Amino acid sequence: MKSKTIAPLAIALALSAGLPNASWADTLKIADVIELSGAGATVGANWRDALKLAFEEINAAGGILGQQVEVTDYDTQTDPTTSRAMVQKAIDDGAYVIMGPIYSGSVKVNMMVAQQNGIPQLTGAEAPFITDMGNPYIFRTSFGAQQSMPKLVKYLAEDLKVKSVAVAWVNDDFGKGGRDSFVGELERRNIAVNADVSSEVGQADFAADVIKLKSSNADAVFAYLHEEESARFLKEMRKQGVTQPIFGETTLMNQKVVDLAGDAVNGVRGHVGLSANAPIPGIQEFAKKFEAKYNYKPDHNAIKAYMGAYVVKYVMTKNGTADPQAFADTLHGLTITPADEPGILMETSWDDKGEVNRDSFLVEVKDGQQTVVSTLPKL
Amino acid sequence: MSTRTSFSLVAGLAILILLPFTQSNYGVFVLSSWMVYSIAAMGLNLTLGYAGQVSLAQASFMGIGAYTTALMTMAGIPWPLAMLAAMVLCFVIGLLLGYPALRVQHHFLAFVTLAFNALVVLVLRNEEWLTGGTYGVVGIPRPEILGLPTQKPLAFYFFVLALFMLTAAALYGIIRSPWGRAFRALRENPIRANSLGVDIRKTTLLAFAIGSACGGLAGGLVAQLTQFIDPNSFGLTISLKVLLMVIVGGAGFFFGPILGALLIVLAPEFLRFTEGYYLMLYAALVIVLMVFCPSGLLGLVERARTALKLRQNPNATTWEAGR
Repeated sequence: MKSKTIAPLAIALALSAGLPNASWADTLKIADVIELSGAGATVGANWRDALKLAFEEINAAGGILGQQVEVTDYDTQTDPTTSRAMVQKAIDDGAYVIMGPIYSGSVKVNMMVAQQNGIPQLTGAEAPFITDMGNPYIFRTSFGAQQSMPKLVKYLAEDLKVKSVAVAWVNDDFGKGGRDSFVGELERRNIAVNADVSSEVGQADFAADVIKLKSSNADAVFAYLHEEESARFLKEMRKQGVTQPIFGETTLMNQKVVDLAGDAVNGVRGHVGLSANAPIPGIQEFAKKFEAKYNYKPDHNAIKAYMGAYVVKYVMTKNGTADPQAFADTLHGLTITPADEPGILMETSWDDKGEVNRDSFLVEVKDGQQTVVSTLPKL
Repeated sequence: MSTRTSFSLVAGLAILILLPFTQSNYGVFVLSSWMVYSIAAMGLNLTLGYAGQVSLAQASFMGIGAYTTALMTMAGIPWPLAMLAAMVLCFVIGLLLGYPALRVQHHFLAFVTLAFNALVVLVLRNEEWLTGGTYGVVGIPRPEILGLPTQKPLAFYFFVLALFMLTAAALYGIIRSPWGRAFRALRENPIRANSLGVDIRKTTLLAFAIGSACGGLAGGLVAQLTQFIDPNSFGLTISLKVLLMVIVGGAGFFFGPILGALLIVLAPEFLRFTEGYYLMLYAALVIVLMVFCPSGLLGLVERARTALKLRQNPNATTWEAGR
């Protein structure tokens, strides 16, 4: 071995010396821990861009508590283990609040780190279990699936008199959590599940899945997949000429799906927590600003992040301090209206578990546009 | 071992002991995961670097080890027993898989091991009663050693460091033993090794099984490090990542996988300033390295050293200079 031994050790030392250390500045640090590469990159980019837009506005208006806000992006690579490391890094770097991530599987792992350090985390995740784990520092920015599914199933059962449904879902934390809530709700209303088809994250070919759904002869098809898979799924549905109506929850009618799948999305109906096309002046104004700056249409993740940024501003200003513990205490049981803070585009309440409550929408995609059919009141 | 070698080893150990004190929790986490992946990569190096067989199943052994350790410790079984069971299980599965699989070699073996990895991920996901399915296992306890908890990042770092040193020492011993020499003879020239009385089949199988047991140990440590495991943490991409560590560092060099793991784990850190481009840069770096130096970074060092010696002593043969 001889000098063979020295080389790697020297390199090891040289490289490790460069590891970043905690540093503190007099700006207010907010960490954006989000999916910027891997399967979640499309939704993560929406989130990051909207967050950047919001904090630029906040900084231009004088920042929070007289301090400028410094937002740092941490890429989770859509990987739970990496996301955990990134939350740790964000906290080491001195973040007061963590924004993100969106993928439920990542949030489940990294929320423990934020909890251990007493740092509030505003997540975009929608799987039901997130707020059931007794973590006093986690807050949603949109509905958990256990809240949105009952609204959708009520619509299917009462307005459309659907008797049987074929379900397609993605086999990860997000998909399985949503599928379990949806199917549970169907059973309560005695609606039959004619087919129950799971697919993989990143799956490219949906031919076999669609054949199963098609031959199930259900009254309606319900799909709960991530955005890119939703686009591929809908294209295959149209290719095979499936005639049953297709329903979804939030992701299926997402702007990204419309961009990717084009005409195949037309006619798809479902429930969304947030929509850039909602008949609410604040949201439409935000959508305009966003599109002017980034040259693409924002999806619900962008609206979530934008509102999340203003939640941070409102709560810290209300508290008169950036203290993380005070932040978490105040946000539990808080209701913020657009009159209190215009950046909160719709009146929103948080309960003692960090669950969100606000109006939501039934939408249909027409000519590549999400069209709001009706507004559903707060639960 | 020369004085110089012993000195650099002691210096290296001193660095590893002192370094975490200068780091934030995140830095300690990164260093711990570097050592964990080094253990997995050293195991694979035995199969790939010394016995010359491409295996794409290292992540599946990490998975088996991780779930065994997690489920057993969460059921109240002491961690030394759980981790030992994980290693033994991986060793046995390595033997069972290797026995039929090692009838085929090179890219055929790569395919067989690839299929095995996919199979393990599916079993982990579908056997919900045991593994928790897609949701994985959360809240895996970190070990307690003689009453000392390792819940804090720094304490757990030293636990990992101790196991890392033990594994490295054990593997160093194996490579220097008659078995290890047989592994290398096999890689250099299987026919000649066979004619000298080395049982090709048995030796390769043993290398594969020991490498798998290392994977099991690394998996157990991953479970305790992140305190969360799910089937996707042990997919094919992780197998490829471990394979990349071995190849980038230098397959067949003892310190190759350790250096490779360091680069692969730390590269995102150093390339982060490039923001959205770092994955592209990272990929480009790997391609450049593989084109110009297929024997990895330590291969590059060795080549430079040989060239230097040849210049100093033009009458020596390449073989003599390379010694």
